[in-house]
Amino acid sequence: MITAVQKPFEEIYRMVEASGKLLILGCGTCVTVCMAGGEKEVGILASTLRLACRERGSSLEIEEATIERQCDREFFDPVKAQVLGADAVLSMACGVGVQFCSELFEGKRVLPALNTRFYGTTVQQGLWSERCAGCGTCVLDRFGGVCPVARCAKSLLNGPCGGAQDGKCEVDKEIDCGWQLIYDRMSALGLLDSLMEIQPVKDWSTGRDGGPGRIRRQDVEL
Amino acid sequence: MEKKKIVAFCCENSSLKAAEALSDPSLLEAVEIVALPCLGKIEIGLVLKCLEKGHPGVLVLGCPLDNCQYLRGNYRAVKRVERVRQLLGEAGLDESRVRMDFLSSLDSHRLAEILQGIKRSEA
Repeated sequence: MITAVQKPFEEIYRMVEASGKLLILGCGTCVTVCMAGGEKEVGILASTLRLACRERGSSLEIEEATIERQCDREFFDPVKAQVLGADAVLSMACGVGVQFCSELFEGKRVLPALNTRFYGTTVQQGLWSERCAGCGTCVLDRFGGVCPVARCAKSLLNGPCGGAQDGKCEVDKEIDCGWQLIYDRMSALGLLDSLMEIQPVKDWSTGRDGGPGRIRRQDVEL
Repeated sequence: MEKKKIVAFCCENSSLKAAEALSDPSLLEAVEIVALPCLGKIEIGLVLKCLEKGHPGVLVLGCPLDNCQYLRGNYRAVKRVERVRQLLGEAGLDESRVRMDFLSSLDSHRLAEILQGIKRSEA
């Protein structure tokens, strides 16, 4: 899933205070799972904003809605009237949803309530961890299913570096060394020998280095 | 318009029983009681909604720590109350509008003190 965290309240308040009529729009998919922008979080943010407005003498009017996904066109139909009736939309989706909502409603100001972080998994409730960097050329087959691009702070394909200690990354002692994980996994799989193979320079043009990504599949086009 | 009261979220296994055993039941008029099967059911949004609706404060009353029938319910409630208080602070409101206390079913005398305190502060 795409993970995100809510922006600091004051930053959100400054963004929306002059909006007049505001629609807080939640997203029912990834950011609901990572507890950042689902229906429950929409309610909490709306209540906090209303209380802050009352305290600070603002007349901001706030509506709430949550749709299944903000990254697909058809899910916006049920809230179309609400979006059009608002002066601004505070989207609690990831950056994709914020931009897509903005594209769909030309002339409508769509503001982000969240900081989008990474593609990750729920390790336990309240703890999410990155697993994929979306590099566009998956190498998981060569590293026992542990991604050196996402899980090594230096994205080393021929690791490890010399900075890891006791299986932890030098960047942060809370982070497992990606290469320790790769070594342990390959060892368990009996594939350690294949780690001796030197990995060639990776083609990064399928990731961020290649500019904004685009996929076109004529076989599924209508 | 009728003046809104402080909302008291009470665990059915402890503070609600303490409330039922009060020697002076009229003290309960100081609050609006909401019974919960366990304090672990308390939701951040629910507490904020009470304040948003105009209730002057929220009282969250659960079992003594380490004495929850469902083991961790009151610890979970502690975290949520802390988060609510943090949100109130960020919004510029007095964090003490949300209070938490831990009462066993035998602590009617302590509940009476809390309710008397509310009555005094409103007088």
